[in-house]
Amino acid sequence: MKSLKWIVPAIAAIIFVMPALSFAQELRVGGEIWNRWTYESVKPEGSDATTLKNYFALERGYFDLRPKFSENTSGRFTVDMFSTDSQKDGAGLKLKYGFIDFNNLIPVPDMTLTAGLQKVYFGTIYDWDYSLITKAPTDEYKVANSADYGITLNGQLPSGFGEYAVGVYNGEGYKAFGKTLNISPEFLANIRLVPIAGVTLGGSFMTNSVDQDTCVVDASKYQKQMLMDGMARLAYGPVDVWMEYIYKDVEYPNIADGSRDYTANGIMVMPILSLRSLIGSDIQLIGRYDRWDHTDNPKDKYLLNTITGGVNYNFMHDEKESPKMQLQLNLVQKAYDEDESSSSYAGKKKDTTTVMMQLKYKFSSTIK
Amino acid sequence: MKKTIILLSIVVALLLTLPLSAQKRSNQITTSGSTTVLPIAQAAAEAYMDKYPNINISVRGGGSGVGVAALQNGTVDIANSSRPMKSKEIAACKSKGISPSFYAIANDGIAMVVHPSNTVKNLTVAQIRDIYTGKIKNWNKVGGPNLPIVIISRDVASGTFEVFNEKALKSAKVDGTAQMLASNNAVVTTVASTPGAIGYAGLGYVNKDVKVIQVAGVTPTEATIKNASYPLSRKLYMFTNGKAKGEIGKFIVFIQSAEGQEIVKKQGFISLN
Repeated sequence: MKSLKWIVPAIAAIIFVMPALSFAQELRVGGEIWNRWTYESVKPEGSDATTLKNYFALERGYFDLRPKFSENTSGRFTVDMFSTDSQKDGAGLKLKYGFIDFNNLIPVPDMTLTAGLQKVYFGTIYDWDYSLITKAPTDEYKVANSADYGITLNGQLPSGFGEYAVGVYNGEGYKAFGKTLNISPEFLANIRLVPIAGVTLGGSFMTNSVDQDTCVVDASKYQKQMLMDGMARLAYGPVDVWMEYIYKDVEYPNIADGSRDYTANGIMVMPILSLRSLIGSDIQLIGRYDRWDHTDNPKDKYLLNTITGGVNYNFMHDEKESPKMQLQLNLVQKAYDEDESSSSYAGKKKDTTTVMMQLKYKFSSTIK
Repeated sequence: MKKTIILLSIVVALLLTLPLSAQKRSNQITTSGSTTVLPIAQAAAEAYMDKYPNINISVRGGGSGVGVAALQNGTVDIANSSRPMKSKEIAACKSKGISPSFYAIANDGIAMVVHPSNTVKNLTVAQIRDIYTGKIKNWNKVGGPNLPIVIISRDVASGTFEVFNEKALKSAKVDGTAQMLASNNAVVTTVASTPGAIGYAGLGYVNKDVKVIQVAGVTPTEATIKNASYPLSRKLYMFTNGKAKGEIGKFIVFIQSAEGQEIVKKQGFISLN
């Protein structure tokens, strides 16, 4: 019975979604499969290296339906079927997207109202294209969710000057719903400006709250968050550099002395060198440096420096010349600063080296 | 530190050993995009290569959106399009360091076509919209025979559809019974073989097997398309990264020249001037 746990919601979702799709003027079916090998080791000071992880897995198995009901109304329904050891049958299922886009509902050119389970327009998380296997910084450090339930107004500024989004979300991410949610929504504003070709500047602001519903049981858990993000992207020829700054301010309103309040912040710099125009083969060399200062609260503070190096080989392309099949190799080294981290991070106890190799494949076809 | 040095060495070795001979040659021009612009681009490329044998021009279709995406990805020199570039596409280009420049290369009209046996000669834009949205289902409602209307449309990814959607449909939803076809030729062929059919296609694709009807009392002609009195007139474009220079610039200047515009006319489209 337990093995049917994820099949039931899948069938239910299909039953609810299929009738709606029959009205679609156009229906695009697509998917994305990420097969990954992960090897991770740790080597505390004075000890031999220990292997923490060494496994193959289907990390993502997206199945995607994109119906177009009219020129102004379209939708997206995406599920993620993935390997997991939390289920007896080894497979998990997550709803990733389930939204409807209404264009021109409000008489502002290029504005879309999106309702449902959708992207969170914060920082770089909403257009993170996984040039590296690792997640966007805001996702990696649990600052924002990649998708959430809500309503947004998003659109384009005139003449390709950029884009914007304002929205309200549940705030707990795409994995949470119903009783697990607190009563306060999350509010978001985002802007991206492209003043000249090759220069993109962006900023995001979000307010959120955590565990407000549990304050009756444990009032001390209730926290209010203010999240800010600044990003810049510089692209010139084969070089593309992404930069991001994240700031998180957490306040515990029910703890009067403010002893648990803290701030966290981080930066990320990611240069990408595309060799396609130089050598003909579609190969990318990528570096990434992250510095995440988790908290200034002495009990669980840490300062994490992460260096990632990666190579992508895109060996099949779609008609738009975007990668369709990609082989990725990443080396990730995480090191906790001895002086700025609490004792549990000292002596390289949690410093890890991770090697990941991933074969990623995308497909899509318009079937109606 | 040792690992970092090893990693750097691997990267440098990769850079040095990869086949640098594969670099793109300056006498190679690649274009892709609109299927409407395709015959103009192909004919112009052939004429240009005859004139300058050292230049090699590759022309592909795929649709306006495909061409723009390829320009964004830096894999083509010219994106052919039967519609202007959208704000979202401009922003996506700019954020990748691509500065799009737009060159009109021809005028075109979207011709409304019916089966030659159909007696209807003229439709208003509102009637076209009502037909395509399923409100009018029989030709006798617009002065024609008692015959069910068969709606033929282009697929929604095509630039021709986008222009038709903007100018005729006003973004209304196409009726679910419509056949959405992937090319202008397919539309013309289907309409020619289906007595109750109505379709639309770039003027350059229209042949004697179908009947072109007036829209709002205006016949799509060179004069009515140039002065934009024909309601479904449009321009056809080539987009480049930055101002077109070198061989790319020369090729576009060639298409816009008197010689190039003769090619445009020969392909059944309307010249710029």
